[in-house]
Amino acid sequence: MPAKEPKKSCMECNDAEFELTVRKRQLCSLCFRRFIAHKVQSRLSVYRAFGLDGPKHQLLLPVSLGVSSSVLMHILNSDRQNRLSNGRPLGYDFKILVIEPSTIAATGVPFDQNYEALQKNLPMHDITRIPFHSIFDYVPEVNDIMQEYAGSKFIDNSTQSNEERLAAFRASISTPTSRTDVDNILLTRLVVEFAKKSGCESVMWGDSDSRLAAKALAGVAKGRGASLTWQVSDGMSPWGVRFEYPLRDLFKAELLQYESVCAELSDIVIPDQPPSENVLTKNLSIDELMLRYVQNQGAKYPGVMANVARTANKLNPSTSDNAPTCSLCASLLGNVEGNSGVTVANQAEDNHSSQFCYGCMRSRPEKLC
Amino acid sequence: MAPTACFNCKEARAVIIRPKNRHKLCRACFISIFETEVHETIIGTNLFFPGERVAIGASGGKDSTVLAAVLKTLNERYNYGLDLCLLSIDEGIRGYRDDSLETVKRNAVQYEMPLDILGYSELYGWTMDQVVEQVGKKGNCTYCGVFRRQALDRGAARLGIKHVVTGHNADDVAETVMMNLLRGDLPRLSRGTSIVTSSDASDIKRSKPLKYAYEKEIVLYAHHRQLDYFTTECIYSPEAFRGSARTLIKDLEKIRPSSILDIVKSGEDMAALVPVEVRGAGKSKQSAEEESAGGCGSQNGRTSGGEMAAMEEQLAQNDEAESLETEIKLPNGSRVKPNRGPTGKAVKAQTIKHCERCNYISSQRICKACTLLDGLNRNRPKTAIEVGVGMEDEESSSTLMRQMERAQLSAT
Repeated sequence: MPAKEPKKSCMECNDAEFELTVRKRQLCSLCFRRFIAHKVQSRLSVYRAFGLDGPKHQLLLPVSLGVSSSVLMHILNSDRQNRLSNGRPLGYDFKILVIEPSTIAATGVPFDQNYEALQKNLPMHDITRIPFHSIFDYVPEVNDIMQEYAGSKFIDNSTQSNEERLAAFRASISTPTSRTDVDNILLTRLVVEFAKKSGCESVMWGDSDSRLAAKALAGVAKGRGASLTWQVSDGMSPWGVRFEYPLRDLFKAELLQYESVCAELSDIVIPDQPPSENVLTKNLSIDELMLRYVQNQGAKYPGVMANVARTANKLNPSTSDNAPTCSLCASLLGNVEGNSGVTVANQAEDNHSSQFCYGCMRSRPEKLC
Repeated sequence: MAPTACFNCKEARAVIIRPKNRHKLCRACFISIFETEVHETIIGTNLFFPGERVAIGASGGKDSTVLAAVLKTLNERYNYGLDLCLLSIDEGIRGYRDDSLETVKRNAVQYEMPLDILGYSELYGWTMDQVVEQVGKKGNCTYCGVFRRQALDRGAARLGIKHVVTGHNADDVAETVMMNLLRGDLPRLSRGTSIVTSSDASDIKRSKPLKYAYEKEIVLYAHHRQLDYFTTECIYSPEAFRGSARTLIKDLEKIRPSSILDIVKSGEDMAALVPVEVRGAGKSKQSAEEESAGGCGSQNGRTSGGEMAAMEEQLAQNDEAESLETEIKLPNGSRVKPNRGPTGKAVKAQTIKHCERCNYISSQRICKACTLLDGLNRNRPKTAIEVGVGMEDEESSSTLMRQMERAQLSAT
């Protein structure tokens, strides 16, 4: 009986044995990594210099030590090493920013070992580590904004440490949706200010395709549809720093696969907490609900979910440059030009609407509706 | 426990928790606030002009009954000077329409408005029950939606009326926004939220004055004013994307009651951000369902998922084809990504033509209803053909026929 010879070689190089199946193709780990890296690099072609003397772009890569941003960092770093060793021009250089996870999440995950592993892995790199509450140092005006935003629910005590002040502000916001919403705004502002101070023109966010889809849906559900043009699309943010999402063509599952074939990442990445099963829908935040929705639906319809982020990416950024913006999140106040809807008029129940945008008004601690 | 005083008047006893913001209100304040909000919508968007003749698309369900009641009240209170009438469409769904049409007839008497009823069988030669018999229970909302859209326009034209108002509520609009986002349908995203729609393809203006009103508040309003309406759901299930969006919105409402309105706001803003060059574009033949289909009143997310699966397959194929493409780079100047700002492209205007079959206004050679009818009639035994069909449109109808055969096969 002739031995049954299963076809086991990689479909790309026809040489090595295949290890992973990605988008219906069986690849060896090397070709898989190359495939993923290509998807990322093609997104960054804007920053490639064509000559050795071309301008060198300075990028900021915020790393949460989660899977996605760590994979992005690994890909950028490998690319950098390759180019340097081959004497090819790089076109860009990047700095790494880690906002201490223990200062963001209430359940303080120890991350020191992961951070050390990161430093060890990228010894040549400019890596900075700052706590979340350093926002008071980086964005000095945030103090007044918080006071105005939270109203009487939050009384700032300047004798307290920054850490305590931030905690007090966050505690004044009552619902999980609003808390996550405001946290994300503050984190974005901190990253942006850091980028500006360190001379970076763009921020490379490590959001996977799945995460961008969830962000788009959550943004829409929170009345922030107009900000998708920089929260989900590549483009100029309101703060004059470009936002790029180089992982937008990759699913979360593929990034997990990448992590599994990169031994050096295992010490860096803090694994995701599995979603809790027994949480009532009404106690979830909208962001969490959308992440779950995209995850569940994505298992069956990955393309449809991926298409959500792609659709959002096709929207034109708002053209009204001089229009007043929200002092907290920098989104447009009122309606986008050309929108004659009266949702805003229907909601103008107090005078705060002059300073904060529709989405931020919804997340206020003392919101009236 | 002591009774809570009304949040608004601080006097009467609160009997309603407002779904939109959980304010506790007395009956009188709730009714007055609800009406005032609709009034503000009408004034804020310059919806009507004095002396305008307006047909209310009436189904006998809660939305259109409340719309008729509110418009009558506001018309008298604020002297809009509108000439209102009721226009009903009989889709021919046994057990669903018969009773609700009786309700509409009573409403006509209650509100002292003239009533006109038009049947699908009269207009198209097919009742919805017959359509379902033919195409199965999947995808029949497409037919119903397209037929109804035209039917209302035709009915209005027959009455010499240029403005039809429908009972679409905030939940319907939010659902449409989410659905179009999930479906990646930018052209519809650009027009689905607008309070006035379809001035392009028809000279009849359509609007939805209840666009910002929550479905739950409409029910409460109907209950507290003891309006006579017919409670039922369409017995056929919604399309998969709409079903998915509907489920999602129900969950969102549990988390943050305002999110329905927030989605409407997002939808309005995004509509203004859709690039001009894709706004007027049509969509693939699968998504023939127009936004108006959401008004059919079905509440459950019952769905087969067929449409999502089909799109998934399509996207996977696109992806595969893309990986086979060879990227050709221009030698110079192509490295800087062009600023995705407003492009100077000229807007491709939709040319308004008349359908070659029925002479109804259409942007295509054959209007959508006739295309659908074409497919239906092809499968009907020759002796039973009631609407004359030419043979010229071979291609589109055979595609449609194949689609329906597939639908029938998978339904069995």
